[in-house]
Amino acid sequence: MKYSFLLSFALGAGWLFSPESLVIAGNTAGKLGWLALPALAAAALLFALSGNLLRQSQLSGRQNSSFSLLRSTTGTIAATSLTIISCIPLVVLAATALLVTSGYTFNEVFLYWFPNFGFSFLLLSLLTLLQFFPEKIIFKAQFCFITLAAGGLLFLALSGIAATGKPVADVLQQPEGLFSASSAILFFLFTGSSLNGNRNHPYLIPIAGFIIFSLWLVVSLSYVNPERLASSTIPYMTTARKVMGDPGRQIMGVVVISGTCAAITALLLMCRNMLGDILHSKKSPPLLTAKKQRFLLPPLVALAAAILMARGLAGDELLEILLRSSLVLWMLYHCLLCLSAILVQYREKQSIPVAGSFSTTIILAALLTILLSSPHRSEMILFILSMSGIGTLFAIIWFFINKKINTNLTTQQTEKSL
Amino acid sequence: MKKLIFLLSFLLLSTGLPAIAADVPLMSKDELKAQLNSGNTVILDVRSGRDWSSSEFKIIGAVRAPGSDIATWSKNYKKDQTLVLYCA
Repeated sequence: MKYSFLLSFALGAGWLFSPESLVIAGNTAGKLGWLALPALAAAALLFALSGNLLRQSQLSGRQNSSFSLLRSTTGTIAATSLTIISCIPLVVLAATALLVTSGYTFNEVFLYWFPNFGFSFLLLSLLTLLQFFPEKIIFKAQFCFITLAAGGLLFLALSGIAATGKPVADVLQQPEGLFSASSAILFFLFTGSSLNGNRNHPYLIPIAGFIIFSLWLVVSLSYVNPERLASSTIPYMTTARKVMGDPGRQIMGVVVISGTCAAITALLLMCRNMLGDILHSKKSPPLLTAKKQRFLLPPLVALAAAILMARGLAGDELLEILLRSSLVLWMLYHCLLCLSAILVQYREKQSIPVAGSFSTTIILAALLTILLSSPHRSEMILFILSMSGIGTLFAIIWFFINKKINTNLTTQQTEKSL
Repeated sequence: MKKLIFLLSFLLLSTGLPAIAADVPLMSKDELKAQLNSGNTVILDVRSGRDWSSSEFKIIGAVRAPGSDIATWSKNYKKDQTLVLYCA
């Protein structure tokens, strides 16, 4: 499906303006100081280049979906498994984490008497309900969420710059280097910018993201002590309060809640598209046709997120480890797509796309840096391996079900013709 | 399909019920303020994970004591001390 310029932005930027991205940006600014700006520029440039690589593979015409591109190089089972494990754990865990954050934000910024978990469940129910509306309405809602999130962040950043205080960034004694794990974590901001059907505009999200976040980082470093930014679990709120006081907190509250809505809607749409590509590629059992999957996936994801919240995963450090691992899987999926595009281009044109190969190599190196530098690397690797095992098992079962359905259909057709 | 969606919606709503059904005795802000000067009061923040990290409100001087780890940290306090636990 071809999306308009603005809709491409709304769909691709869902994750970019999530509270998780705001935490990553704030913490990185605290750890790197002003070096966070070139690191952000590098991350944006590399994702723009890799997005362009995927666009070129789409323009070549043979692989019009991510799934078919991946299948052309890895085979059906691996492509099915990779697609499933890159999107489903992420959408469930991100929904759980972001909804908890939004619940606290709503409770602490807007209504003290409203239970935070009550708000999380209410928001989850509303976002699930939204998925049952026609796509046009979902897109309009998504556009509103992104406008509120990006607009609020931009307004706070510009207000901060207009009334800039004394720069405090020189307090940072030992900034981490540009080639550090903190720098690599910035790559999470742009992961998925080219995955939501908006490959027609590969530079759009990286450029817009760079502009808005660089302004936000300048303001953060100008108003808040870097050590505090680095260690804060809510650096976005600290900056907003320093910039505009209580009104700043309220604007940031709107940014966080609308950013959560945008991220969950975008992830659900992405998941739907990715699973839809698998279902379109073969005959499916009647319960899992692409059309029915649209109505089945959102309540299942919502139910999984609701169970995780009700079981207290939000109060467990494990959630952060699992979320980080699923983000690694998502970035790995992006890298594998790019590698497939390079391979396909090499097969067809006997040439290697230099810029695309360069960006893919750096993103892959960043991914390994994030994984290996994490204090929870063994748990993360265990999660990735477990997910891969489950995904492969599911893909094998799926493959045999499809084979059986196709055999039955062929037999029926042969009997009819006789 | 409609039945399945209805069932999933019901399950979704029922998982949210514990969040609004909790009946915990509360201490008011003023009661806590009055106790703070007694010198025998320890404020314990029993939140952990994202429950703690997402919250903007953290009482200065509060000690982090995850609710799941009560057996460990409860040994650190005397029986005559007043322990004020907060989780939101």
